[in-house]
Amino acid sequence: MEIPFQIALWGVRLAFLLVLYLFLIRAFGALWRALRAEGELAARPAAAYLVVQTSYPQGPRVSERLPLRVVSAIGRDAGNDVVINDEAASARHALIEHSDGAWWVADQGSTNGTLLNGARIARRERLRDGDLVEIGRVGMRFEAAR
Amino acid sequence: MIRPVAENIRALTLLIALAFMVTSLGVGYWSLVEGAELSRDPFNPRLLATLRDRPRGAILAADGTPLATSVRTGDGYRRHYAERSLAQVVGYASATFGTAGLEAAYGESLIGRDAADPLSQWRARYLGEHPEPAAVRTAIVPAVQRAAAAALGGRRGAVIVLDPRTGAVLASVSQPDYQADLIADPASEAVAWEQVNANEGRPLIDRARLGLYPPGSAFKLVTAAAALESGIDPKAKLRVDDPYRADPSWGQYAVRSPSQAHGDFDMALAFQRSENIYFAKIGLQVGGARLAEYAARLGIGAAPRCELEASRGQIATGQLDRPILVADTSFGQGELLVSPLQMALVAATVARGGSLPTPHYATAVLDARGDVLRLVEPGAAGQAVRPETAATIAAARVAAVEAPGAFAAGARIPGVHVAGKTGTAETPSGAPHGWFVGFAPAEAPLAVVAVLIENSPRGGEDAAPVGAAVLRAALAR
Amino acid sequence: MRLRPAFRGTELGLLVWVALLVALGFAAVVGAETEKLDAASLAVPLAYLSVALALHLFLVARGFRGDQLLLPLALGLTGVGLVLVERLAPAALLVQQLTWTIVGAGAFAAAMLIPRDLTAFARYKYTWAIAGIVLLLSPLLPVIGREINGARIWIGLGDILNFQPAEGVKILLVIFFASYLEENRELLARPPQRLGPFAIPPLVYLVPIVLMWALAMGVMVLQKDLGATLIFFGIFLAMLYLATGRATYPALGLVFFLAGAFVMARLFAHVEARVDIWLHPFAEELRFGPAYQIVQALFALGNAGLLGAGLGGGMPERIPIVWSDFVFAAFTEETGFAGALALLALYLVLVFRGMSIALRAPTPFLQLLAAGLSFTLAFQTLVIVAGNARLIPLTGVTLPFLSYGGSSLVTNFVIVALLLRVSDITRRVRGG
Repeated sequence: MEIPFQIALWGVRLAFLLVLYLFLIRAFGALWRALRAEGELAARPAAAYLVVQTSYPQGPRVSERLPLRVVSAIGRDAGNDVVINDEAASARHALIEHSDGAWWVADQGSTNGTLLNGARIARRERLRDGDLVEIGRVGMRFEAAR
Repeated sequence: MIRPVAENIRALTLLIALAFMVTSLGVGYWSLVEGAELSRDPFNPRLLATLRDRPRGAILAADGTPLATSVRTGDGYRRHYAERSLAQVVGYASATFGTAGLEAAYGESLIGRDAADPLSQWRARYLGEHPEPAAVRTAIVPAVQRAAAAALGGRRGAVIVLDPRTGAVLASVSQPDYQADLIADPASEAVAWEQVNANEGRPLIDRARLGLYPPGSAFKLVTAAAALESGIDPKAKLRVDDPYRADPSWGQYAVRSPSQAHGDFDMALAFQRSENIYFAKIGLQVGGARLAEYAARLGIGAAPRCELEASRGQIATGQLDRPILVADTSFGQGELLVSPLQMALVAATVARGGSLPTPHYATAVLDARGDVLRLVEPGAAGQAVRPETAATIAAARVAAVEAPGAFAAGARIPGVHVAGKTGTAETPSGAPHGWFVGFAPAEAPLAVVAVLIENSPRGGEDAAPVGAAVLRAALAR
Repeated sequence: MRLRPAFRGTELGLLVWVALLVALGFAAVVGAETEKLDAASLAVPLAYLSVALALHLFLVARGFRGDQLLLPLALGLTGVGLVLVERLAPAALLVQQLTWTIVGAGAFAAAMLIPRDLTAFARYKYTWAIAGIVLLLSPLLPVIGREINGARIWIGLGDILNFQPAEGVKILLVIFFASYLEENRELLARPPQRLGPFAIPPLVYLVPIVLMWALAMGVMVLQKDLGATLIFFGIFLAMLYLATGRATYPALGLVFFLAGAFVMARLFAHVEARVDIWLHPFAEELRFGPAYQIVQALFALGNAGLLGAGLGGGMPERIPIVWSDFVFAAFTEETGFAGALALLALYLVLVFRGMSIALRAPTPFLQLLAAGLSFTLAFQTLVIVAGNARLIPLTGVTLPFLSYGGSSLVTNFVIVALLLRVSDITRRVRGG
């Protein structure tokens, strides 16, 4: 094999290595940016709040403001957006979401039910500013932002 | 409250990252740290491919006669070896079985990647250039080699000849040998390999540098050296009465004189008659520690540093402390184990005024045009004994050959003063080993020889004429 | 998924790099082989890149707005895998690998569309478990079962479609564990209960999955597939830890594993042989026989240096069946430690992304699913690379995306699809 060809071949090989590293750097950059964006998203100011009205001894403090997002899962399990650590609450108790321009509260098939202004909701009900939501032994007032 | 899954995920991810790091280190170890070592492994197909596809440099004798060359075959090259008796020294280079001997030791140079030319390695790897192979010139003298092989005949053993001035190996024979040519030829290699490995005489082993034997009387040079440097007067006469027990604690053990002597011996006479009792006495006088020290200074117990692997030998299995062991060791038995190369080095030390030479087989690496790429000239390994000591021992050894009734009379060469010592080493079973270690001419030595014949009925007396024949050939070069 | 097409810029940008990578790789390999660089060598890479583009366009057309990193990474690794198959294996295998890539792409698309509701998966967990066992046992059946290279772990139709069901079972196992553990994790994570003078960890709740796992192990041992056994066991322990957070479970599991391995080494000659090969590969009796593979692999690694011997320039083909278990050693020999490091980093980024998707998933089931799948990719990669580098004994596991092997490729593409779906669910639930 003549020298010029050998050199060209090595050029291609080194280019491969270079591109491999550039690809890696790009991928890492994309990962970083994705994580940042997701982090920022999580840190965004809440779309609405649940202000605790009534609680039980080991529960959340009264008048604590629990932030809500576009979709928030509420329940006893630690993976929920709003964690209610009450035995009377189910692991996945309720869902509060903002869609079609309005706020909704939906019961996720909980054992003891979700109460809206004292009445047990069937499945999904409209939520308005000032409504009282009771889950387990915790009562919270819904406060829409703005 | 149990930990949220998220925390566990983080912990596991950390563990995974750590595992990746450790694995990368492992990969780095093999590719960066062990890389050079692995590339030199004689069974690495990358190395072997160069064996088959391109001609290899020649290995030459001292006068330029080729000892190993590459010949073309149908689909590549194979090696051809001129001298059968050099099989264990020159070795073989086979695409299947790897390399051995000098073919292995100078493997890189012979394919054109000598260390003296680092650019060649780089060019081979990155430009695919096939560098010109270098040739290796040895100090082997074909005439001496053939004489040594002929003199040893079909007997098991070894002969090694050094040039005392440089430490270069002029000839080396180890019997039984084998035909390296058959191993290098792909047509016959399978059968030949099996045969060679099945031969209970172990022809693949170079007895000259790897075989370990009790030295017998040939070791008395070392005892004498230790004694002279400890102040013992060689001319002082010691009483010898056969058998000799230093004190009653020796029990059944006694030093026996080979001639059942009763008389007074000085060192010269003791050398001539190979008087065990004399040497046992001075050995005990010198003491085990000093004896061990001088044996070490003369290279016993450490592997000689030449290109090919050589045995370390030993002075004793443990310490040289028990009086019986010291006495036994002083005349060459005990737990001593030495190789013919080591004994040749001891003699060479005596021959060159006390400095221990470093043996080497090759003298130079030549490039494709025949110019010297680099010289192989390892210096001396150190001053082992004083010149006066060496001179005294040399003189005694001349007498050992030339005096009337000398045991080594078989080594006489008309017209030349030969200094030598025979040895008959007792073996646990069977006939003793026969040694002859000598150099000539005594005044200005040009060649040193060590002969070992395994299980030879008359021991040293059988070895001496072999030594003479070899020395004669060596002096004629 | 909404059917409003979505522009996936990051993904497209990364795919350009993938295209460049594959083109350069093929150019180097074919150039070294044929001693010229011409256009004919681009046929296979072009075919592959069209498949890659098709997948991208598929996601764009479906309006998929989930993660944009995983697919290019997987495609990049698969592309490098094709380069290596071209380099190391006969042409027929290259065609096969390309075919399997297309099948994998199809499986990816399918997994993106069905089932409609990923969470519904969870409800049929025992069904999946049984299906898994059946699949595992299927190689033992008469007609479709195949024995290749002494291991009865294949099923096939005709001579071409040979599939290793153990690969697919991995996914079913993760799904089963994820759903079972989500339901029972509180019980399993409780501190040890006191029963009189004894403290018993709530092992009772472990019974169903231990049973399931033991069945899987037994089948593996029966079929002598040590690699799959190790992977299954690893998945089991990892998911147990992920669900409960109690390090005692994996610790205990490791102890049992080592004890079991010890016993197996004594009882089964072939296990002992593997350990022997690992500890003393250069021993006289082994280096030309059973240890030949690892010895050649080490020679290949030794030839790597920093920049490698160059694509097409080393001699990795001396390793027997190099294209499946030893692609990493071959890749390292030709691209050097630098290349190997970059490759490992790419896998790590893939795993990191999978784990970050898992972190953000809205329900524990999805978290466990995504983390379990990411762990599977990571663990497999670690096991085979460590085996190549003689850090652990060889196990016959494949390097995801890179190794030659259809079952592995299809399975791993399905894993990527599932991870993408989890990221999509997260995005819809949490916004953004």
